[in-house]
Amino acid sequence: MRHFIKSLSPRLGEAFFAVLPSIPYASQEKERCPGEAITAQGLSAAARVDGPVAFHDATFEIPCGCRAALIGPNGSGKSTLLRVLAGLTPIRSGEIRVAGETPRLGRSRIAYLAQRPQLAEHFPIKLRRLVQMGTYAHHGWFEECHHGDEAIDRALAQLGLTELAERPVQTLSGGQRQRALIARAVVQGAEILLLDEPYAALDQPSREIIDRFLFESGATFTVLMATHDPADLGRFDRILEMRGGTVLTRHACSGHDHRHA
Amino acid sequence: MLDLIVAPLAEPFFLRALLAIALSGAACACLGAYVVLRRMAFVSTALTHSILPGVVGALLLGFSPYLGALFAALLTAAGAAWLASRKGTSEDSAVGVMLSVMFAAGIALMQQANSWRDFAGLLFGSVVSVGTEDLVVIGLTAALVLFGLRALHKELELASFDEEYAALLGARPALMRVVLLGLVALGSVACVRLLGALLTTALFILPAATGVLLGRTLPQVMAWGFGCALLGGVGGLYLSYYLSAVPSGAGIVLCCALPYLAARLFAAPR
Repeated sequence: MRHFIKSLSPRLGEAFFAVLPSIPYASQEKERCPGEAITAQGLSAAARVDGPVAFHDATFEIPCGCRAALIGPNGSGKSTLLRVLAGLTPIRSGEIRVAGETPRLGRSRIAYLAQRPQLAEHFPIKLRRLVQMGTYAHHGWFEECHHGDEAIDRALAQLGLTELAERPVQTLSGGQRQRALIARAVVQGAEILLLDEPYAALDQPSREIIDRFLFESGATFTVLMATHDPADLGRFDRILEMRGGTVLTRHACSGHDHRHA
Repeated sequence: MLDLIVAPLAEPFFLRALLAIALSGAACACLGAYVVLRRMAFVSTALTHSILPGVVGALLLGFSPYLGALFAALLTAAGAAWLASRKGTSEDSAVGVMLSVMFAAGIALMQQANSWRDFAGLLFGSVVSVGTEDLVVIGLTAALVLFGLRALHKELELASFDEEYAALLGARPALMRVVLLGLVALGSVACVRLLGALLTTALFILPAATGVLLGRTLPQVMAWGFGCALLGGVGGLYLSYYLSAVPSGAGIVLCCALPYLAARLFAAPR
């Protein structure tokens, strides 16, 4: 009986959604990243709509496949910059292109991990379902996701979460949760990862798994990671430093500071 | 024993009430899962209470009380949203303001009608008043609520679980909140005959709160909630059938509280 219901319910679901129109959340563009992953021109933004500007005149670019670190003291605007790039915080002035689009249009290519992810406490959801949410980026309103199972399994394995797939999210540790969110970004097919101090509250095993995934697995992401750890910096191709309310770029290869105005 | 169960079924009003509680229980338990998980209990209470002026006004003016109820609930939701969007008013107090104003307006309108006795049913529900046409309205609203929940399941789940990611994907979490409030307004219309303006909120909160204790995924929470609403609803109807001292609305709410208590005491902590 149970088996019968289980085999029947997806078909009923498909029939239900077949009569509804499917409308994409945002325009879906599918060419690969065009040269520069992120370009910003004279950007200024504030953490809150009525607050003071967090940075001004920020001009920088991050090429595709580049791993960039974002450094600077607390309160220098790192989080605001990442939220602006993710399209979650509006800009005051300037121009910004993410994969050649405005942030709102390029959004299925971007994944953003907040320093403290604001997941609803006690929400009844299993880890696998959380990771599956990444596939929503390729669906729209009134569409159920039946596909992407292999992609989910692969992402779970890459981040060492296969054993935990059926665990409720509320029972996971902070590190396991952070890995689950990265797995979700992988399933989403994001090309650009915006990470806000992902190591801040991580146990060593989680940290190693994420490290290996980001820097050694041959993944082709463009990464922009806010970090406080000077020992980290050697692994990045480029360093963006937030100082005095603006952004300075330092190329790891050329080794000299130069300021874009 | 069997006689005790079968005897009420011979009464047409009892059958109609059973059907009504099953339909509205399904809608409210599923919707209630979001209400409880998103901590919207207060706003859903405000919406259901503020049905009162809508129903009384509609009776005074002579049009359908269901339309009046829906209008009043939507007015409360819109008013609270507007007040909360102004500076210096938190959403909590905006909802509180709308709740007290609407409820006081309802009391004032009841005074206009000069009869408190007729309105006891409006406040606390009345099982004998469910007619065939009421069943049609209840069935339609419940179907609409369930349809909305199914069609937007993944968006509602995503927006409730991780609002920021929903915004990132463009799944409009703010719109989903409005949709939920609209569905709560619709759902409370389905219950107002059985439970009245004061007790309707219980059907949103008690079964879903039980479901949250027992279910491990959102569909499981909804299924447990529906089971509890059905159990409590049917139990309450029988209770008030045999104990005339217990009004049906109160009986339903009390019987819905029993599974919650049992789950609270005996469910394994997760």
